[in-house]
Amino acid sequence: MAVTKVVMPKLSEAMETGKIIKWLKKEGDRIQGGDILAEVETDKADVEMEAFGAGVLRKILIPAGDTAPIGTLIGVIAEPGDDITALVASAPAGAGGAASSGAQKTPLRPEPAPVPPPGAASAAPQAPRQAVAAPSAPQVPVARPALVGAQASVVAGVGPGQAVIASVPAAVAAPAAGASAGGRVKASPLAKKIAAQTGVDLRLIQGSGPGGRIIRRDVEGAGGAALPAASTASGAEFEDVPLSQIRAAIARRMPLSKAPVPHFYVTSEVAMDRAWELREQLNALEGQPKISVNDFVIRACALALLKHPGVNASLQGDAIRVYHRAHIGIAVALDDGLITPVLRDCHAKPLAQIAAESRDLAERARNRKLRAPELSGATFSISNLGMFDVAEFSAIINPPEGAILAVGSVRRVPVVDDAGLGVGRRMMLTISCDHRVMDGAMGARFLQDVKRLLEEPLRLLV
Amino acid sequence: MATHKFDVAVVGTGPGGYVAAIRCAQLGLSVATVEDDRPGGVCLNWGCIPTKALLRNAEVVNLLSHAADFGIRVSGFEASYAEAVQRSRRVADRMAKGVEFLFRKNKITLFPGRGTLRAKNVVEVKGTGGVETLEARAVILATGSEPKSLPGVAIDEKAVISSNGAVRSEAAPRSIAVIGAGAVGVEFADIYASYGVQVTLLEALPRVVPVEDEEVSKELARTFARRGITVKTGVKVAAVKPGGSGVVVDLGGEQLEVERVLMAVGRAAKLTGLGLETVGVQLERGFVKVSPHMETSVKGLYAIGDMAGAPLLAHKAMAEGVVAAEAIAGKSPRPVDYGNVPSCTYCRPQIASIGSTEARAREKGREVSVGRFPFTASGKAVALGETEGFVKVVADKATGEILGVHIIGPEATEIIHEFTLGRTLEATLEEIIHTIHAHPTLSEAALEATLAALGQAIHI
Repeated sequence: MAVTKVVMPKLSEAMETGKIIKWLKKEGDRIQGGDILAEVETDKADVEMEAFGAGVLRKILIPAGDTAPIGTLIGVIAEPGDDITALVASAPAGAGGAASSGAQKTPLRPEPAPVPPPGAASAAPQAPRQAVAAPSAPQVPVARPALVGAQASVVAGVGPGQAVIASVPAAVAAPAAGASAGGRVKASPLAKKIAAQTGVDLRLIQGSGPGGRIIRRDVEGAGGAALPAASTASGAEFEDVPLSQIRAAIARRMPLSKAPVPHFYVTSEVAMDRAWELREQLNALEGQPKISVNDFVIRACALALLKHPGVNASLQGDAIRVYHRAHIGIAVALDDGLITPVLRDCHAKPLAQIAAESRDLAERARNRKLRAPELSGATFSISNLGMFDVAEFSAIINPPEGAILAVGSVRRVPVVDDAGLGVGRRMMLTISCDHRVMDGAMGARFLQDVKRLLEEPLRLLV
Repeated sequence: MATHKFDVAVVGTGPGGYVAAIRCAQLGLSVATVEDDRPGGVCLNWGCIPTKALLRNAEVVNLLSHAADFGIRVSGFEASYAEAVQRSRRVADRMAKGVEFLFRKNKITLFPGRGTLRAKNVVEVKGTGGVETLEARAVILATGSEPKSLPGVAIDEKAVISSNGAVRSEAAPRSIAVIGAGAVGVEFADIYASYGVQVTLLEALPRVVPVEDEEVSKELARTFARRGITVKTGVKVAAVKPGGSGVVVDLGGEQLEVERVLMAVGRAAKLTGLGLETVGVQLERGFVKVSPHMETSVKGLYAIGDMAGAPLLAHKAMAEGVVAAEAIAGKSPRPVDYGNVPSCTYCRPQIASIGSTEARAREKGREVSVGRFPFTASGKAVALGETEGFVKVVADKATGEILGVHIIGPEATEIIHEFTLGRTLEATLEEIIHTIHAHPTLSEAALEATLAALGQAIHI
């Protein structure tokens, strides 16, 4: 007859431990598959834990109120005649015990379907444990930040019990390209250095070296040796234009942001009349660099980021890294893509300096003259499509940053105020936020401050 | 006239051709090879191998001349140049026999004679025994290259010789003008000078071994001058005419009278008589145009080695031979990495390099750090009494990427490979310095130069 181990299931992406709120069955109760055994509190919610083996709940190892790491044996379902003493003895003593049992080596596999005991009842207790350990699929690096883990979240979000098990192979089968079993990224020393210097996440890259090793050209975004030449036959109905290096990099990177990073968007309209007026005054001054609307936005964001560090943040595995400095990435459109050079320490730079430096960065970006360090290390980004007469849009977060602000055109629109109907200058701002890092209200409060700074633009000068 | 069917026919059995043939055979293909000389090509018969034998003789002569430095007094030794050449022939014969053995071992059929394409998959072989026709699924052309001359100067292999004549001639001239200070020129300059020939080395470009790093050129010119070789760089040879006791080289103002002239101005692909026009093979600047898998513009027809373009080096030809063979066998081989082909010159001191020169790296806009280590500071080199030269490492300042390494000195051609491997694996300076180098070795100079690039050299 079957002996079924009940282990703490992984019920959400970030879950590492679970707390038994209460057992809904007690020792000695007969259990059918699908019965609710217990309620478990995770980091996100209270979840019901289903049984997936039939028999008698012979033993409860983790009592209500206690916490156990995922994968820990918390109970045993078996027939009354089955010998479970060895299994019970192998369980960690007490709640949150040391991770020593075989089952814990595969934390994403809560418990496989019941395993028929091979012959002698005395051998039965060992059998399920081996059955758990044997398939030892490449361990999904759950502790790794961002995307590898995020793939697992597809699984974990499904729910308790069998559904989780069924989905596990999908997670296992989809390690990030260069990452091999155990989570080690296979990359050449040079590729690692360039990646570190340019802020490229090696786990997002498909290696083209022997055995999928990531080599320099992968990091630099080269598409490989020989790209197919574009067809130039006249009268052709279509043309395959080979991806430029930068377009290939964008194509590879963006889905890796949009899919696993849960975006949410907050939009706000800003009255730009005063900022516009101030800008005209400033630009009329002799010997001052010309200041753009975007420079105002950069300055406003920098000040607001200091006040709202939760937005100036990034998910780093099991921690949120909150930055104390505002390094702002400024998206610059190129003919064949876009690039986001980083203007460092914006919070500490006066408007004129921001204007001069951002112009320089943008110019060099267009001429492909940026240095590697200028392309990495942003804590927040701004994408401005104002010059294209765009009312509003939303942008895709550039990982590992936590948010990006999309800036529309300053448009002259009818406005209603105390004096009645008039004409005003308005600009739409949309912030895209990583929901793993912040919540709607945080994004909204940040945006509110940006709006206030732009509507009272003298604040940007002090 | 018989027609033979094979999977692959390889025309030319130099280092490119014979390696391609063996690799094809290893992959289970039936292979025919076509050769109008002995197997092994220029490399084994007339180039790399016999010249290395001659250079070894030169080295022994030099060592004996300096025996007193080691406290060994050798009185009145006699160095026979004729016997040196004879020895080099024996060495070449032995290696060529080795290729014949490898053909037998791999069941490769050798068709002696000249091969000509009649169609893209048909090779006609004209040999002493008549004409044979080979039909193959794929054909690999590997006919190599031959020495070039200057316009208006005919190589008669008597007064004006090429490397072909130089390796055959058992009589050393009293004086010789070597035109061209590339690898071939400086190697023969070394050989002749060691045997007491009055050598004048002429180079049109401003420095000897002009493709190498400038510092290497400077060091070689210095040691050559010290050994009594007259080095003239930046000189244009206006004419080479019979006169005086042999040949007069007109340097446009200066007349140089020598017994013999060695033309070492480069090599040209051997493309004539192959029937390339018949099948419409595209050329590019005097070489056959090939894909990364060595296929020519004609499907199923491959070209490798010297005829397929620079660098004209045996080891590059061998690498291409493997790529072509594997491509024909339906594998997808990694194309040859032309940026990572070591260049080796076997004069004394030896020269070896990989990657970019310092000047080239800077031209490409790289911010570089450079490390140098002279063999005078190497215990092993001092013990050997071979302290000329240095190791120079050029690296990217930001990443430590090894952009180029330039070695001149004892066994330079053996030391270079750690950097070649390092570059293949994309190692940076750090991986080299974390590699323990045995002491005492000449390779320690490689470690020290690497350390020097990071400002951490210990022994200097």
